[in-house]
Amino acid sequence: MLLEVSNLRLYFKTLRGDVKAVDGVSFSLDKGKTLGIVGESGCGKSSTANAIVRNLPRNVSRYEGRICLEDMDLIPLSEDEFRSKIRWRRISMVFQGAMNSLNPVLKVGFQVAEPLIIHKGLSRGEALKIVEELFRLVGLSSEIVNRYPHELSGGMKQRAIIAMALTLNPDILILDEPTSALDVSIQAQIMNLLKNLKRKLGISMIFITHDIALASDICDEFGVMYAGELVELGSAEKILPSPKHPYTQKLLSSIPRLHSDKTPEFIPGAPPDLVAPPSGCRFHPRCPYVMDKCSRENPPNTLVNGGFVKCWLYK
Amino acid sequence: MSFIRESFSEFWASNISKIGILFLAILVAVSIYTVTTLPLDFGVRYWYNPVYWVDYPKSAQPEWINIFLSEKLMSHVELSISKASGIKPYNNRFIKYYNVSYNHECNQFPKFITLRISDLLFYRRDSPPIVRFYVTRPDGRTIELYTLAIETISSNATPPFRYFSMEPKRILLSGDIYLARSLVSFLYREFNISLGTSGVLEVGSEKIIFGSIGGDNTFTPLIGRYVFSAVLICSDVNDGIGMFNVVLGGYVYGLMGTDVLGRDLFQGLLFGFPIALIIGVGVSLLTTFIGAGLGIVSGYIGGRVDDFIQRFADTINNIPLLPLLILLSFIFGGRLWLIIFVLVFFNWPSLTIIVRSMVLSAKASQFIEAAVAIGASRLRIMVKHIFPQVAPFVFAQMIFFTPYAILAESALSFLGLGDVTMPTWGQILEYGFKNGAVFLGYWWWILPPGLFIVYSAVTFVFIALGMEPVVNPRLRRWK
Amino acid sequence: MEPILELIDIKTYFSVRKGLFKTLTVKAVDGISMTISRGEVVAVVGESGSGKTTLGRTAIKLIEPTSGKIVFKGSDITNIKGDIKWIRKEAQIIFQDPFSSLNPYMTIKQILEEPLIIHGVEDVSEREEIILRALNNVRLSPPEDFILKFPHMLSGGQRQRVCIARALVLNPSFIVADEPVSMIDASSRAEILLLFRELQEKYSIGMMYITHDIATAKYFSHNISVMYLGKIVEYGPTKEVLKNPFHPYTATLINAIPDPDPENRFRERSIVPGEPPSPINPPTGCRFHPRCPQIIDGKCSLSEPISREVDLKHFVACHLY
Repeated sequence: MLLEVSNLRLYFKTLRGDVKAVDGVSFSLDKGKTLGIVGESGCGKSSTANAIVRNLPRNVSRYEGRICLEDMDLIPLSEDEFRSKIRWRRISMVFQGAMNSLNPVLKVGFQVAEPLIIHKGLSRGEALKIVEELFRLVGLSSEIVNRYPHELSGGMKQRAIIAMALTLNPDILILDEPTSALDVSIQAQIMNLLKNLKRKLGISMIFITHDIALASDICDEFGVMYAGELVELGSAEKILPSPKHPYTQKLLSSIPRLHSDKTPEFIPGAPPDLVAPPSGCRFHPRCPYVMDKCSRENPPNTLVNGGFVKCWLYK
Repeated sequence: MSFIRESFSEFWASNISKIGILFLAILVAVSIYTVTTLPLDFGVRYWYNPVYWVDYPKSAQPEWINIFLSEKLMSHVELSISKASGIKPYNNRFIKYYNVSYNHECNQFPKFITLRISDLLFYRRDSPPIVRFYVTRPDGRTIELYTLAIETISSNATPPFRYFSMEPKRILLSGDIYLARSLVSFLYREFNISLGTSGVLEVGSEKIIFGSIGGDNTFTPLIGRYVFSAVLICSDVNDGIGMFNVVLGGYVYGLMGTDVLGRDLFQGLLFGFPIALIIGVGVSLLTTFIGAGLGIVSGYIGGRVDDFIQRFADTINNIPLLPLLILLSFIFGGRLWLIIFVLVFFNWPSLTIIVRSMVLSAKASQFIEAAVAIGASRLRIMVKHIFPQVAPFVFAQMIFFTPYAILAESALSFLGLGDVTMPTWGQILEYGFKNGAVFLGYWWWILPPGLFIVYSAVTFVFIALGMEPVVNPRLRRWK
Repeated sequence: MEPILELIDIKTYFSVRKGLFKTLTVKAVDGISMTISRGEVVAVVGESGSGKTTLGRTAIKLIEPTSGKIVFKGSDITNIKGDIKWIRKEAQIIFQDPFSSLNPYMTIKQILEEPLIIHGVEDVSEREEIILRALNNVRLSPPEDFILKFPHMLSGGQRQRVCIARALVLNPSFIVADEPVSMIDASSRAEILLLFRELQEKYSIGMMYITHDIATAKYFSHNISVMYLGKIVEYGPTKEVLKNPFHPYTATLINAIPDPDPENRFRERSIVPGEPPSPINPPTGCRFHPRCPQIIDGKCSLSEPISREVDLKHFVACHLY
């Protein structure tokens, strides 16, 4: 087991009260595998990723649980330890919209090389050599090193950002909506690249997206998040054809399918407010199978098909 | 509209804005009081008319300074009477007395003594009245001060004859040679002291009138009741004096003291309030109106209109203000409207440039395109859709701009480019500096106008600070 | 069916200033003809830079075309300048971003009232009635709960419904829908699309549905036209085109979108290499040729393919046919 997250909680303080962005999330990740975390916007999937790499804003009111990387609990580490030992060295992340955060006045190669210069103390020349190699790995020609961000297309920038995440040979790569700003044809190119990296480097990934179809391109396992909680976890082979949780079922059937004739459905209502989520099961106000119990008690995780589902239907 | 209510409650939530509003209320109240009590041509009629201030003490400290002094300074005194205190016949003629009394309690001599009569009225062409002035001291001694004889009327004018109605007859006793002669005889008669007229003038008439004589011819103030009387010797019973005044120059005057010309600083400073308000509010209203209006037009219409407005704004932005202002005030003379015009003219461009860039980003919002798509006119889009986007900023700018305008006017006045027809704080300061008030330690002349300028500026700065969370959503409390 | 909108050889070029003196021409839309009938939905599918958004804006004269002819409801509106108000009443547009397309300072009521005021519905109670009906139509009910709210109090889906309601209050006969669901959560996308479709059918509105997502076009449109760099490369009945795409570009667009399937991760997706070139300097010949997997040497790069009807009402502009 490479990474084990248990009972992770991340709350943000706001004037209306605590936003329970991540509320008791547990999952594990094996070496070389890819876990997809999917859900609607505002379900806490990005916050989960940020909690793992400890990229936290200032208004955090609660940050607890266990994040074990090969038996080392990351939560108790000090900020300095975390930065020097874990972030980017062991776990790196491609942030949402990172391709637009490249500094427009610095050459791309230098920006990608920066972690090598900072963390490994390499000289600029050595670092750039490694970057050239990485660029070849992500399908960029080595002359791109000397270009400025505005000279690159969106797809090229995203490749550079992925190269940057790989500079220190991390064990785990977290990708937060890595293709959402790209055109569909470029999206497919990036997905092929990620598949290649997964195969060649044997790297573990956490892939965060709202698009299950896209995630099915690379993910071995799926975690479905709803209102700050992981409601279902299981292998792609189990979840995609036969989802158990009503929310997962609905989410899958809302995808318009090009290659089959199903009419997409939708989930009525809107996701709940994370300051005051509904009592009991958080999905119960929108659930078609709601029972009396659902609004009273929060369902436990029930083991099903090698994964778990958080629903009273399976208890 | 709930937006306004929300904004206001946000504004009101901070203490600084409450203080700002309180200050503003005071500023406005004082201005209204001033405008209703002082004449609007106060500047030309009084302030810049030195004759009006001759009987005021020069460079007198404010009266309340006495609270802090063990040795009290003499207050300025002006006594007056308009009706005869008594009348009696005298050799076919009449004598009318006009007596005013004054209780001298402080251990100082008056700075000067002035007598004034106005509206002398008489009916007999051939026999005009004579006015004699006396003072009776606490020790019972009487001194003759002055005799005023009126010439007979030779013209064909019909009675009654009226003298000193347009301008009162003013008799400055200090240094008067007639009085000096009278005092020489007074001293010899009462105290057996012979002092020539030049000796009297050297000692000072006020000292002799208000003094008791000591051993080696030194005078100490004589405490007690003094009665000044004007005695009118006339041929007709209806002859009379409209008003008799006695002015005893003091060392302290009024609430704010006086300047070197004797001008009452209280009145001058009071008049500064409405002017500061007019300049501050007027300049900022006009500047923001023009600046925001042109900014919106420039940003939204774009194209050649935009180019024209922006180049024009750039040009004005780069004209040096001060030399131009000196030139203009040379041509037109310092005038309030000129200062307002110049401040507006040179300050709208910077606002226009900022508003334009805000409009450009607001214009990119899809709801603007949506408004075009439903057929809204340009004017409607600018007023209904663009203006609300920039309104909070423009409003805050307006308030920020007010203290700037007040300070700018003060600075210009200080450089001698102010309006010469009305007193402003800056001009009072400037006149004080010019007359060495700082070196002479005339604090009451320098500090109050300075403090009032700061006060009015701070008022609007406080309000602007209170406005900030309303304008900048990141500082908001709600949500 | 009577045609509501006819576009004949529309070209829309923009000048972009580069440096101080140089101006470049962006050929956003470069010779497009299209007919949309009453009650018909035509999907315009393309990637960013394909000119699909410009086409939509040009069709309802939010942007002036450089050349070509626009016939709306039988009258040529290409060059009219002043009397444009009736077009603004008959033709509406719905934008991609429901967050920025509503004025944040106006209540829902004011937003929906504005088109009525502009187009001279003077009676206040009549306006109120129309607004309440429109809100009911887009299932924002009870409408009384919504009219006094500000846009920021609504969710993305609700906002987009307000946008739809605003487009419908004037009873338009034609609507341009520019990516109306791309910024809405996947779980409510279908809801908005179904509602849209229902209203479009109910009022028999002609519609241009602009999207980058060929999958939603499948459920929403009768005909589909695929755009690449300012040109239509393929046009035909939606089902036909999706089942049997002729143009290699259409095929790659379809292949790029997977259905959720665990098997996906064991196969590489067939992709076209590179990215769309800039519309400032489009490639010669067929504009797709630098990326085309089926390029015919010596032909595709030299001559521009013309659109021909390969199957019944199924047109394609490609040298392969």
